[in-house]
Amino acid sequence: MRILVCVKQVPAKDAPIKVAGDGAWIREDVAYETNEPDAYALEEALRQREAHGGEVVALTVGPARAAQVLREALAKGADRAIHVAGDDAHRLDSYAAAEAIARAIAGEKFDLIFTGLQSEDYGYGQTGVVLAELLGIAHATIIMQVQPAAGGVRVKRELENGYFQYLNLPLPAVLTIQSGINKLRYATLMGIKQAKSKPLATVALADLGVSPSLNRQSVAKLYVPVKTKKTELLEGPAKEVAAQLAARLKNDLRVI
Amino acid sequence: MTTERPSLEAAVVIVGAGPAGLACGLRLAQLLDEHREREPRLPAKDSIFILEKGRETGAHLLSGAVLDPSALDRLLPGWRERAPIEAAVADDAAFFLTSRRALRFPITPPPLRNHGNYVVSLNRLGKWLGEQVEAAGLTIFTATAGARLLFGERHAVIGVRTDDKGVDRRGERKANFEPGYDLKTPLVVLAEGPRGSLTKQLLGRLGLAGPNPQLYALGVKEIWSVPAGRMPPGRVWHTMGWPVPRSMYGGGWIYGLAGHRVSLGLVTGLEYHDPGADPHVLFQRFKTHPFVRRILAGGEMIRYGAKTVPMGGYYSQPPAAGAGWMLIGDAAGLVNSQRLKGIHLAIHSGMLAAEAIFDSWRTGDPAAVARTYPERVAAGAIRRELWTVRNFHQGFERGLFAGLLNGAAQMLTGGRGWRDPMLARAGHLRMQKLQAAPRHDWSLQPDEQLTFSKITDVYHSGTRHEEDQPPHLIIHDTDICNTRCIVEYGNPCQHFCPAQVYEMLPAEDGTKRIHVNASNCVHCKTCDIQDPYEIITWVPPEGGGGPNYEGM
Repeated sequence: MRILVCVKQVPAKDAPIKVAGDGAWIREDVAYETNEPDAYALEEALRQREAHGGEVVALTVGPARAAQVLREALAKGADRAIHVAGDDAHRLDSYAAAEAIARAIAGEKFDLIFTGLQSEDYGYGQTGVVLAELLGIAHATIIMQVQPAAGGVRVKRELENGYFQYLNLPLPAVLTIQSGINKLRYATLMGIKQAKSKPLATVALADLGVSPSLNRQSVAKLYVPVKTKKTELLEGPAKEVAAQLAARLKNDLRVI
Repeated sequence: MTTERPSLEAAVVIVGAGPAGLACGLRLAQLLDEHREREPRLPAKDSIFILEKGRETGAHLLSGAVLDPSALDRLLPGWRERAPIEAAVADDAAFFLTSRRALRFPITPPPLRNHGNYVVSLNRLGKWLGEQVEAAGLTIFTATAGARLLFGERHAVIGVRTDDKGVDRRGERKANFEPGYDLKTPLVVLAEGPRGSLTKQLLGRLGLAGPNPQLYALGVKEIWSVPAGRMPPGRVWHTMGWPVPRSMYGGGWIYGLAGHRVSLGLVTGLEYHDPGADPHVLFQRFKTHPFVRRILAGGEMIRYGAKTVPMGGYYSQPPAAGAGWMLIGDAAGLVNSQRLKGIHLAIHSGMLAAEAIFDSWRTGDPAAVARTYPERVAAGAIRRELWTVRNFHQGFERGLFAGLLNGAAQMLTGGRGWRDPMLARAGHLRMQKLQAAPRHDWSLQPDEQLTFSKITDVYHSGTRHEEDQPPHLIIHDTDICNTRCIVEYGNPCQHFCPAQVYEMLPAEDGTKRIHVNASNCVHCKTCDIQDPYEIITWVPPEGGGGPNYEGM
C-alpha cells in the first residue's frame, strides 16, 4: 500500500496570535507546529504500513519553515517527503493548495491519500475533498477507522451525536482523518538520526504554476473576537443540576 | 519494573543547543571536515550528539541581547552577511532613574559602550546556528532532554540517559511510552545554560564549586511592537536605579529592534533580603516610568519570557572539566557581569572545548581534555576578559552604591579592588526571615495594557507542556512549605517565580497549602536557585515542553 499523507504547518496551539498590520493574516513571528489532525493522519498511515507493508510519503505545501513538519514526519517513520515550497504558500486557499498537491504528485501512484480533517489555522476542512475531486477519485471525511476490504478499504466515519457510519471505498481514495483515531507516537533518537538520510524533495510552487492568484476566495478581514462573559446559574438538587450541567457541556458548549 | 533501554555509542554528547553547545558542535564538524580525509581514524560526524530539550533549536533561548561579535568572527567568518541580526548598535546611553526622572550619564560608562556590537534575538541567532550545525552534517536531537548522567568507576561520567517519553502523572507508562536512550560516551559536554539540571547533579555529586558559590540574577523580558520612530533599531539603553530598591542589585534595558519592535527587560539579582521580592513586579513597574512609558504608548506586547543569568564571575566558576565531562557557556559561569555579556564567551568556550576534544581524538587520549580544556580557557580571551572583572559583582552585596564604588576601584586596579578574591555568600542565604527583613511594597495592579499579570505574560511566552506527566518541579518536603516557610519567609516561591508556578491555596481545614502549576514553567530555574530551604529541584519535563521564545 502506498500512502501519501498531507501535513500542514500551522501556528502552535498556544502561540500568542496577533493580527498583522494588513488585517488579512497574523504576525508571522510565532512558533509553528504540525497541524494536529495531520499528525493523526501520519500516525494512521504509519500504522497501515506497519500492518500491510508499503510506503508512506509525507507532503507539505508551505514556505521554507514548513520543511520542519516533514523532518518530523521522517523522524517518526515516513519513508520520504515532498516539500511544495513557496514564500506565499501560506496564502493559498483550499482549492489552490489542492491544485498544488495534485500537480506535485502527478506521475505518482498512491493507493491512499490521508489528510487531517481540517487545519487549525483556516479550518476550512476542504483541501482533502477538493484534492479528491481534482484527481477524480473517491473520498470520505471524518475518518475514525481504516481497514482493508475487498477491492478497497472499509472506513468508519464519525457523525453527529455519537453515531457512526461505515463505508466501503474503492482505491485510490482520499480520507480525511479525525484527531484521536489513534495514539501518536514519539520520534525516537534513532528515528531522528535516520531521518537525515531519507529523501526530501523540494518542488517550487511557481514551477507548478500555482500562486495565490488561483485562489477562489480571499480573506476580507481577520480580527480577534470580543470576549463576552455569560453566567448562568443552574438550580435544583445536586443530582439534577449535575445532569443538566453535563447535558449543557455536551450539547450546547460541546466541550465533552 | 525494569526498562529495556535502547543504547547508542557516541564519540561525544553535547547537552544543550544554545550558543555554547552549537559552537562546540560546529567547531568539531569543521575540524573533522578539515582533517578526516587524511586521518580516517577520527570519529564520524554522526557520532556527535547534540541534545536539546526545546521543541526546536532556539525555543528556550532568551537574552537581551547585545552580541560582542568577536567569537562568531572566529567561528563563522562572514556570518554578519548571513545571520539574522536585528541591527548594528547605532548609539548607546546609560540612565539613572529616579521615580520621576531619567538622568543620562554624561558619558556612557566604558563597560556599557557597545559600538561595534550587534543587537540580536538569541532565539533567532540560535535557530540559525542550529541550521549551520545541521548543514555541517550533525544532528540536533530536539525535544530530547538529558535526564541523568551515567557514572562509571570513581565518579567518571560515562554517558547520558535521555528522557522517557509517554509517562503519566503517576509515573505509569502510557500506550505510547518510549524509553529514554542510554548514550554511552567517553565525553559529555554540559552546555545546559544557567543552573543546568545535569550540571547541578554532577557538581553536587563531586562536591565541586568555585571559591564563591554561583550568584544569579533573573532577567524578565518583553518584546513590544511600537509605533514607528519610538526607538530606532540599534539604539541600546541601560538603566539603573528606580524601581529597584537601593539595597538590591538590578537594572533595566531597552533595545531598538528591526520592524518597530523593542526589547526591554529588567535584571534582578537573586541575592536580596526581602522574601517578598518579586522581579516580575519590578519589571512591570519599570514600564510605568515616564521614560519607558513614552516609548511603549500605543504599542502592543508581543512576547514574554524570563531566564536566569550566572553573575558571579571568575571566582564563582566551578572547575571546567573532569573525568568524562566538560562545562561550557553559562553552565561554566562564563558571563561578564560588568559588560552584561556572555554569548560571545559561550561561543568561545564551545570552540575551545571542541579544539581540546579534537586534539584528544588525534592523540588518542580522551582523558586529556580534563587538563587541556581548562588550560585553553586560562590561556585565552575568556580568562583575560573575566579576570579584570573578577570582583565586580560581589561588590553589590552591600547595595547599589557600594557596588558602583567597588566597580570603580576595580577598574583602577585591574580587577583587584579592595579585596581579592572578594568572597560572597550564595543569594538564597541572604534572604531574611519575615520578622527581620526589610519590607518593600510589592503590590501591582496590572492594567493589562502596559502592565500585565504573570498569567497574561506566561500566555505570551508560548509555554506548553504535556499535562499528563510526572511533576518536573520536585518539592522534597511540602511540609516545610505548608508549616515552616509560610511562617518564616511567607513562601517566597510565590513571588520570585516569574510564571506563577507556585501558589499557596486554601485547604479545607482552613490552612494554606502549596500548589504547583508545573505547566506554567518557563524553565528559568529561579526556584531551584532561590528557595531558602533548597528543597526545590528542577528536572527536565518531557522533551519538547517549555516556552517558545520566538524572536526573544
